[in-house]
Amino acid sequence: MIAEETLLNELKQLETQAKAFEVLVNTYKERLYWHIRRIVLNHDDTDDVLQNTFIKVFKNIDGFKGDSKLYSWMYRIATNEALTFLKKKSKKLGISDSELQNKMVSNLQADVYFDGDEIQLKLQKAIAILPEKQKLVFNMKYYQEMKYEEISEVLNTSVGGLKASYHLAVKKVESFLKGD
Amino acid sequence: MNNKNNKKNFKTPEGYFEGFSDRLLDRMSDAKGNLESSFLPKSDGFMLPDGYFDSLNKNIQEKLKVEVPKVIALNRRRKFYYYAAAAVAAIVLLTVGIQTNINQEPTFENLAKTEIEDYFETNDLGMTSYEIAEVIPIDELEIYDILDNKIEEENIIDYLDNSIENIEELNLTDYEY
Repeated sequence: MIAEETLLNELKQLETQAKAFEVLVNTYKERLYWHIRRIVLNHDDTDDVLQNTFIKVFKNIDGFKGDSKLYSWMYRIATNEALTFLKKKSKKLGISDSELQNKMVSNLQADVYFDGDEIQLKLQKAIAILPEKQKLVFNMKYYQEMKYEEISEVLNTSVGGLKASYHLAVKKVESFLKGD
Repeated sequence: MNNKNNKKNFKTPEGYFEGFSDRLLDRMSDAKGNLESSFLPKSDGFMLPDGYFDSLNKNIQEKLKVEVPKVIALNRRRKFYYYAAAAVAAIVLLTVGIQTNINQEPTFENLAKTEIEDYFETNDLGMTSYEIAEVIPIDELEIYDILDNKIEEENIIDYLDNSIENIEELNLTDYEY
């Protein structure tokens, strides 16, 4: 795997840009896909958001100062793109954010790209009712198994705060699943 | 006394309390995590179309190619809008300025005398002599306000000479009023 610094330099030079971008996409496409997919749930929406994320990365790479790691920066862009996408969608449909979350989970039952059983669907319902931050932390920690330090860089939150958020999220999910 | 004894008898490792909350939260997270993993599926049931990631790079490149000229076009369009907005603003200002001048109420003082005379000459006032006599004070009226041509003295004498039998009986004397 190519070193991040080298990749970054190549991305900023016109001659090497195209090849470096291809490497960047191939390196991070799967991780970012699953990160976005767990926020927007639907494959087609995920595809849109993922492509927009990479396009944004490409267009803004010159402005990336290297204050954080490249992957954290890309995760941050992906998170913002996904959340903005959902906000636009709820506005377009004229419904609240929580109504949209319920709708998205209901749509999973008819989604050809969702093969979850009853417990997996119930887990998605439980995650849908979590506050935004807890939802992000839960997905990143539970499914993507990211370290708190990594999540901290992406969400710009202290590690202590993230641990508390994750603890609360797990507690709520557990309580929902044991509810009936 | 008890407190003192406690302090002497029990010690904590250095920096124990500094990291306490972190360690506690870690343990809570792990405990919950382990508990969840015992009955929660690690897979979430999401699937992808076959070969999706293989074509992703190509799709992004195509989208980038389409988007680049679009960005330039947007900038140009924005500039065009700026110019158009400036032109519209100028037209509006001019129109408002002209309208303001046009809308000014004409006053009698602003009318030229020739314009008033033209008006009376070209428009039928629809007034009879009697009505005119009513509105125009008689003591300010001069004979020549009505007559265009001055009556010559000779003509008057001729008229009198022809009208009366003996003009001398009128006893017309110079400078006699």
